[in-house]
Amino acid sequence: MVKIYIDDREYDVPAGMNLVDAAKWHADNDIPVFCYHPKMEPVGMCRMCLVQQGAIEKDRATGEVVLDEHGQPKVRWMPKLQTACTQRVTDGMVIRTNTAEVDQARQNVIEFLLTSHPLDCPICDKGGECPLQNLTMEHGPGMSRMQFQDKQHLDKHVPLGDLIYLDEERCIQCARCVRFQDELVGDDVLAFHERGRRLQIITNSNPGFDTYFSGNTTDICPVGALTTADFRFGARPWELTEVPSIDPFDAAGSNISLSIRLDRDFGGKAMIKRVMPRQNESVNEIWISDKARFGHHFTRSENRAQSPMIRNANGQLMQTTWEEALKSVASILKAAGKDVAAIAGSQMSNEDLWALREVMSAVGSTRLGAWPITHAGADLVAQVGVGVGSNLGDLGKGDAVLIIASDLEEEVPIWRLRLKLAKERGVFLAVANARHTRMEDFATACLRYDYGMAAHFLSNLRAENPDLAQQLAQANNLIILTGAEGLSLDGSRALMQAAANFLIETGHVGKPNNGLLSTFPGPNGMGQYYMGFTPENTQDIMINPPKVLIVAQADLYHDDPSASQWVHEVETVINLTLFADETLSHEAHTILPIQSFAERDGTFTNGERRVQRFYTAQGPIADALPAWQVLSRLGEKLGRGKAKLSAATVMADIAKNVPAFAGVTYKEISNVKRQFPDVGGRDLYYGGTAYQNRGGLGVQLKTTAESGEAINTAPVELVNAPRSQAGQMLIVPTTVLYNRERTFLPSALMHPRVMMPYAEINSADAAKLGIKSGDVVEIVADTMRVRVKAHVNGGAPEGSIVLPRHLTTEAVPMTMTLGRVSKVD
Amino acid sequence: MKHILFREHEVENIRELDVYVNNAGYAGLKKALGMTPDEVINTVKASGLRGRGGAGFPTGVKWSFIPKNEPVKYVAVNADESEPGTFKDRQIMENNPHQLIEGALICAYAIQAKAVYIYLRGEFWDLATQLDQCIEEARKAGYLGQNILGSTYSCEVYTHLGAGAYICGEESALLNSLEGKLGQPRVRPPFPAQKGGGLYGEPTVVNNVETLANVPFILYEGPEAFRAFGTEKSPGTKVFCVSGNVVKPGNYELPLGITFRELIYDHAGGIPDGRGIKGILPSGASGPIVPATDEVLDTPLTYEDMDKIGTVLGSASVIVLDDSIDIAWAASKMAKFFKHESCGKCTPCREGTYWIDKVLDRIITGDGAPSDVDLILNVAKNMQGVTLCALGDFAANPIIATIKHFPDEFKRYVDPALKQEKKAVAAPKRAGGAAQGRAGRGTEKTGLVPAGD
Repeated sequence: MVKIYIDDREYDVPAGMNLVDAAKWHADNDIPVFCYHPKMEPVGMCRMCLVQQGAIEKDRATGEVVLDEHGQPKVRWMPKLQTACTQRVTDGMVIRTNTAEVDQARQNVIEFLLTSHPLDCPICDKGGECPLQNLTMEHGPGMSRMQFQDKQHLDKHVPLGDLIYLDEERCIQCARCVRFQDELVGDDVLAFHERGRRLQIITNSNPGFDTYFSGNTTDICPVGALTTADFRFGARPWELTEVPSIDPFDAAGSNISLSIRLDRDFGGKAMIKRVMPRQNESVNEIWISDKARFGHHFTRSENRAQSPMIRNANGQLMQTTWEEALKSVASILKAAGKDVAAIAGSQMSNEDLWALREVMSAVGSTRLGAWPITHAGADLVAQVGVGVGSNLGDLGKGDAVLIIASDLEEEVPIWRLRLKLAKERGVFLAVANARHTRMEDFATACLRYDYGMAAHFLSNLRAENPDLAQQLAQANNLIILTGAEGLSLDGSRALMQAAANFLIETGHVGKPNNGLLSTFPGPNGMGQYYMGFTPENTQDIMINPPKVLIVAQADLYHDDPSASQWVHEVETVINLTLFADETLSHEAHTILPIQSFAERDGTFTNGERRVQRFYTAQGPIADALPAWQVLSRLGEKLGRGKAKLSAATVMADIAKNVPAFAGVTYKEISNVKRQFPDVGGRDLYYGGTAYQNRGGLGVQLKTTAESGEAINTAPVELVNAPRSQAGQMLIVPTTVLYNRERTFLPSALMHPRVMMPYAEINSADAAKLGIKSGDVVEIVADTMRVRVKAHVNGGAPEGSIVLPRHLTTEAVPMTMTLGRVSKVD
Repeated sequence: MKHILFREHEVENIRELDVYVNNAGYAGLKKALGMTPDEVINTVKASGLRGRGGAGFPTGVKWSFIPKNEPVKYVAVNADESEPGTFKDRQIMENNPHQLIEGALICAYAIQAKAVYIYLRGEFWDLATQLDQCIEEARKAGYLGQNILGSTYSCEVYTHLGAGAYICGEESALLNSLEGKLGQPRVRPPFPAQKGGGLYGEPTVVNNVETLANVPFILYEGPEAFRAFGTEKSPGTKVFCVSGNVVKPGNYELPLGITFRELIYDHAGGIPDGRGIKGILPSGASGPIVPATDEVLDTPLTYEDMDKIGTVLGSASVIVLDDSIDIAWAASKMAKFFKHESCGKCTPCREGTYWIDKVLDRIITGDGAPSDVDLILNVAKNMQGVTLCALGDFAANPIIATIKHFPDEFKRYVDPALKQEKKAVAAPKRAGGAAQGRAGRGTEKTGLVPAGD
């Protein structure tokens, strides 16, 4: 700690802290900034943060503080004002922010900025939450000496890409967006063009502004120069109510804020107008992916299920009341005896899953399946997952991360962003996969194995890659992050076990920033495990279909090409669903419309086992109800006691019955504390429009390793992966962020960014099969037959076809399989 | 007078390697290689050589800032020569290229740099080709490359062309441009000589062409021989680039300490048609203008004496404005130059240069109010001392100094009493060129246009 003086008061602050940050955090002194951002390196461009700076004079010989005639320490002032953002605090630093000279300098900078800034605040999206507006009110001259006709007029609608528009007149050339893309994301797709007053932001990628994080630039833009295609001209900020929520798409569980307004376009109900980041420094800091930001449209899809439906004697689905529907389902379940199973998707909340489990208990069934069945080993994450208090932002020099069998940018973009930054702080970042992935661009070490051999690779790491093994073993902190690319479910379990063994053997379990992470699909993969739903159970259900199957928020037909075969064997399907037009609807006996994450409250457990709360934001769709409520009422009919009246009381039940959740309450999940940097709130100028966290920072569940129990390694049951052979190739399903899933397709503005269905083929294979890049090929495997465009781009290893899931309308296999490829003429 | 730099006056074809070598060429380098790097730095320090790019910082001191324990260091030669009215480096590189290469190599040896980058303005493409040939010849002769002159020291020399921006003559913007980035100044500290501040983040000496071209002489002839020219605080010779209203514009290499009067009348042939001098721009567009009083004309051209008359020696690009020149028009030309060349990074400079130009246009087309002169003066003052690099101050100088020394020149455009007459003259001009902001090139004025137009 060092002593500094700000406006004649003394403060103890950590040495080397940025002066703007130190003044704000420790002295509650808002030094105004435009270009400075606490998450980025200072550039000193906007000149708004000028302060008077000096240092307490010390005698060179004795080191004693020199006193003036009044006995006060003598201050040696610098001749010119200094930019606070480019200063790091040192002992004896003296700052004045309240002098006439500083006031004048701030006023001058505002005046200069406004000479080129349009006066279109009344129609500007940023109006009302604009740093330039706020700082003009606080520090501006109050009137302009610039004659209006001297203003420069520029293009006001420049699409930088499909998602972000630039208003060239409003831009104040702070370079926050350019630096965000360059320094933080590593997608260097924005730049300055020209110079002087002609200096403008341009994109140099094709397609424009090609990155998964572009929306964040609109938050940190200190003016309304960057706006999103989704929100621009959609509402005024002061009409919006911010509702805390959680990104419903991936395992990171990014904290978001849903900006809602009662809207004509939604029947006068509360409607999501935009999605904003909500600060959680341990989870997503103040960033969210574009999928989280722009993917909310599915909640208002015209295909949302409206009312409960029951199939009548003629085989037609008829609308009915909830009471009738639940009565009917209860009697079907009772009649089935124990021959009932349930499959629940990973967008189900913890409360939904618990209520479903209660229903299953009521009929005496333990067949609880998790969907999809790609990733195994959640139990191992519960055992040796990253310890309580983990934060990818804390990793640094001496630490290591191994990413294996994952295309992290596509699977969990926020983890990819934070691990890229971790690498730059000195983390040893190793990326192992059978093919090149984006993460390799940021890695310290890149390793290859053959598809299907991830578990073998990790099991034999010490023997075959001793240097890497040693690097990882010796790291102060080690995280192994697994995906399931190129693995069967058993293969995925083997990989998880191999990873867990390595962590246990090297002592990297049971403490913060050490342990196992996995890219479980959806926001609640860990919740599925804790509530008893496993992919292994699902496999069993698929092999031995029950008489009655409850399918809850699982898109069986779109995810699994074999669904039509095994679902047929089920006598009665009860479908809890968001969408009325699922193929499953043709099979279902009963359709129960449920609410999406936006319309009710609940909790998700993210990949780091952080239980986080989302709140009711959007108005309901017709008769749809929260799944936990539907299931709890069903439970009542089956004799499980009174139906629960709130999600919070369901959580109380979970806390009582699920050991890992012991003591977890909504109140605790909702706790917040001050986070550095202090963004949001009134201080829009400082960190942008990311919101302060008022909804809770969540509660991270303890791993078994932390509860004092001995954790042992277990044998890895290696699975021999299929190998390509005469005429057959390995079909490797992969994940792409932008796809045609039911929960993403309704976001029409994203359509230009969703790739046409394609498969990557190695050039050697392509030559053998007479396939050129761009040819349409047919891929046939088991129950699957899809037609896609071939990309011969070096993306696939020889003998394999990389086939992204959910780009085609037909399902592709959930795990790796053998198949044939042929050119379609 | 014997020339240190423009040796083509004494030795024909000094640009040829063999001629250069036969006339003590590369002897300074040879001598330096026999000394320790510190001895070389001390020799340059002893000579009192000051940077010729404009700031006049002691060269040896600059070299001594380079940390010894860093493995990678660079020399960047500033051959951007972008100040209006400056055309000295071009002549050195055209006629005496090996002396620059030798000087740069001595500097490189003194700081133990691995490579020298000569950053030339984009317009110098022909010069770059010629320099590349010289570098190749010197390499073949063993003066650069691996094991220079049989020593253990190795160093490469490369040329690099800019893309045409005034700001790239500023050292940190030059380094950005050299790295392939947008030519904008960097935050300092770290300074180029420090780790993190130089080329690719490595400690780097950035020196002007003329500065380095002096170094072989200092090494070969010794610091005292160099100090035989000039004054105590400003030793050596300086190339004065004289332009504007003089009979013989051109480069004059003369000892520092001669006066404006000597330079203009004895060397540059005086003013055409025997007219009087109104003002002098001692350092292109960026240095404050001074009125041609006897006191000014008799001021020695040194770093220290220029300070006394409220201006700078800078790169010594002396632009002479005779009594036919309209100072407000000249100010407008300079304002346009800086508006065009502001890199746009710092708010005050980006916005201020644009604003001043707009108001000044209004003034010289006769549409300005008396308060407009106060306005541009105030805007210019608000630009001073608050920007990352000196361009903000440079851009303010033409406004502040012209209004200070020649208030009447502005008054006659804005004073309602004087304006009637002026407007009659200005009116046809507005119709012709005011739309492009080029008003003021008057019929009654000489056709001479300051450089940078």
